[in-house]
Amino acid sequence: MGAKEMVEKIRGEANEESEKIIREAKDKTKKQLEAAKKEIEEEKKRFVEAEERKGIEEKKRIIRAARQKARKLRWMAEEEMIEKTLDATLKRIKSVKSEGFKGNSYPNILAGLIKDSTISIAAGSSAGVEVEVTLSEEDAAASYIDNAMLKNLTNEISNDSGVNVRLSLSDERMKSAGGVIVRRKDGEIEVNNTIEQRMARLSTSLREEIMKTLFTGT
Amino acid sequence: MAVEALKSIREGEEGGRKLLEEAKASVANILNDAEQEVKRLKEVARGDEKSIASEISAKYIQEGKKEAAAIMKTADTEVEKLKAVAESNLDSTVNVVLEKILGVR
Repeated sequence: MGAKEMVEKIRGEANEESEKIIREAKDKTKKQLEAAKKEIEEEKKRFVEAEERKGIEEKKRIIRAARQKARKLRWMAEEEMIEKTLDATLKRIKSVKSEGFKGNSYPNILAGLIKDSTISIAAGSSAGVEVEVTLSEEDAAASYIDNAMLKNLTNEISNDSGVNVRLSLSDERMKSAGGVIVRRKDGEIEVNNTIEQRMARLSTSLREEIMKTLFTGT
Repeated sequence: MAVEALKSIREGEEGGRKLLEEAKASVANILNDAEQEVKRLKEVARGDEKSIASEISAKYIQEGKKEAAAIMKTADTEVEKLKAVAESNLDSTVNVVLEKILGVR
């Protein structure tokens, strides 16, 4: 081999080697880029999935809040109507006093309340019981309960309960829309049967009745 | 003659070395360019994340608000009906309450 051939061979080999390392570098970077793109795509997919989950949670939160608000709205409407019913009931007491209720005059209604209260007080007593009836200023002024009525009630209760009962009207007056407070004369036992107290005492069962009748008509 | 031959062989070797050095420099550039490109792609992806996140969030908030509006509309209608029913039953309910509190059965 002459010097010229040798030089050409050396250059040829160097060329081949150069092309080879450049080709290998290009292949390597091509793969690196493909891997990086794949990784970026996968990361984007994971990111989108996570954001979707967050979005769905936010949507659920908005819907939950709306349902809660809707429940509150219904509850407030129910409460408003219950209040309206109770207000209307108190207003009707005035007409009950003048017109009676379901065929019962107001004095008869008061008599019933006095009888129930007195029987409660007399329960368990074997000896005689002296009982005082307190009325509101308005009911006392209208003389819904008089001595004759109390005498009849006294007899009726004594017969029914088997306890010797003596009823009298108290000079004391109470602040109430109506009803009675019945008290043992010694002040030991008192039954408060004013309209307001009965409303408060019966509030749980009244609410159930009101809800049933008001919103279903049954 | 032999001296001339040796000289040209040496020059050939020198040329080959330079060729290889140039090739190595090209390789370094290729690798560096690729590295920069990967970096750029990642930055672009990170930049896209903000707009993707706000797009997705806006989509679900809109869906939620739409459903919430429907729920409230239904609730308003129900409340109106509820009040109308209650108004029509008000007198009979007052009677029920009066029966209880006046002790009239």
